[in-house]
Amino acid sequence: MKRWHLLLFIAIGCIAFAPRAASAGGRAKQVKYIGVHPIPRVAGGGICHIEAPHVHIYGPDVKLNYRDHRGYNHFVGDPVAYGWDGPRYSYYGHHPVDVDVVVGDEDDGEDDVEYCYLNGPHFHYYAPAPVLTADFEVQGDVYWYVGKPSPVYVDARPELVKVNAVYTPLVYARPVVEVTTPPPGWIGATIEVSAPAVVVGAPPPVVVERPHVHGAVGVGVSAGVEVHVPTPSLSVQIGGPAVVVGARPAVVHEREVIVVDRKHGKHKHRGWGRGKGRW
Amino acid sequence: MRAASRLLAIAAVAAALTACDKAPAAPDAVLDGWKKAGLQVSAFTAAQGAGLGGGTCQSGTINVVDVTLCHYADEKAAKAAEEAGLATVGDATGVSIAQGKMLLVVADRRKADPSGKTIDQVTKVFRGRQK
Repeated sequence: MKRWHLLLFIAIGCIAFAPRAASAGGRAKQVKYIGVHPIPRVAGGGICHIEAPHVHIYGPDVKLNYRDHRGYNHFVGDPVAYGWDGPRYSYYGHHPVDVDVVVGDEDDGEDDVEYCYLNGPHFHYYAPAPVLTADFEVQGDVYWYVGKPSPVYVDARPELVKVNAVYTPLVYARPVVEVTTPPPGWIGATIEVSAPAVVVGAPPPVVVERPHVHGAVGVGVSAGVEVHVPTPSLSVQIGGPAVVVGARPAVVHEREVIVVDRKHGKHKHRGWGRGKGRW
Repeated sequence: MRAASRLLAIAAVAAALTACDKAPAAPDAVLDGWKKAGLQVSAFTAAQGAGLGGGTCQSGTINVVDVTLCHYADEKAAKAAEEAGLATVGDATGVSIAQGKMLLVVADRRKADPSGKTIDQVTKVFRGRQK
C-alpha cells in the first residue's frame, strides 16, 4: 500500500513540475513569426519559407537572431547559414533593416528599423529597402552601410553583437568580397564599436591552409575569414578582417596572411584589417 | 488650386485602384489564382463559419495543406476573425491572415510541408504578392 502511495506521489510530482510545453487549454503554445527563418534542429532543422505572419509550436533557438516586430519574431540573421537557397544579397558588416519593407507591412505607422550586427560578409534574402539605399554603397557586388546609425544601434550593440559567436562555427559559403578598401563612410570605419583601445602594430597573421582542389576555388572558412583563390593568379581576401574602430576615422592596416600550400610551401599575402573586433 | 485638387483626385483614384489590385475580389477569384499558380487545389466545400467570426467559409486542400477561406460583410469582421483562425490551426504550423473582406486559414496538420513552401505560395497568391 505504501509503495502505491509513493508511486502516486511521484506521478503527481512529475505532472506538476513537467516543462510547460502546453498552454492552459492543453494545446501547445503557438509562437508567432513573420518572414523567413531557420527551423530549430529539434523541430527538424532547415529553413521555413513562409514570409507571411505565421505560427509554429516552437520558439526561436537563437534569440539574438531575432527582433520583435509587432509581436512577431522576425529573423535578421544570415539565412544561407541555415540552408536558404532562395534569392540572396551580399552585405558587409552591420547595417539597418527596414522590417516593414521586408515583410510587406502596409500600415501607416513609423517604419520598424532594426539592425543586423553580423560582422564581415554575410547574406540576406532582401536588398536594402528603397528608403535606405542612399545609406548603402555597393562595392564588389556587396552592400556596405555608410549611413549614420541611430542611438538604438549603439545602445543595443554590446548585447546583439554576440550573435557573431553563433555564426563563427557555422561552415557555409559566405559572400566572397573582393575589395581592397571599404568605401568611405562605411560604418565599420566611422563608429566606435568597442571599448577604447590603442592599436599598436598589425595583428598576428592569419594562417589558412589552401585545399588541394583543381580550378577556381572559393573557400569559406568558419572563423569569418574568406579565401578566394582564382586560377591562375592567386589572391586572398579576408572576409571578416580584424577591424578596430575608434571614434576617429579608422585606418585600415595591411594584415599579413599566410596561405599554406602543402605542395609549394608558404605564400604571404596582404589583406586589410585593423586591430580587434571584426565587421 | 483647381489643378491641385485635380491632382489629389487622380492620386486618390490611383491609390484605390492599387488597393483593389491587392485585395482578393472574391473567393472564386482566389481559388482561380491558386490554380493558375500551379497549385493542386481540391474541391472546396462549405465549412462552418460560426467559429470563425460568422464568415461564409469553404475549405479544402491545396497540395498537402488544409485551407479554409472565409468571406465577411466587412474588412473589420475579417480582421477580427484572425485570432479565431489561429485557434483552428492548433498545434500545426499555419497562418490566419485577413485581406480585405476575406480570411485565409492554412494549417499543415500532416506535417507534409516542413519547409513551408506550399504555405508561402498559398499566402502570396492570396495577398497578391506572387512574383
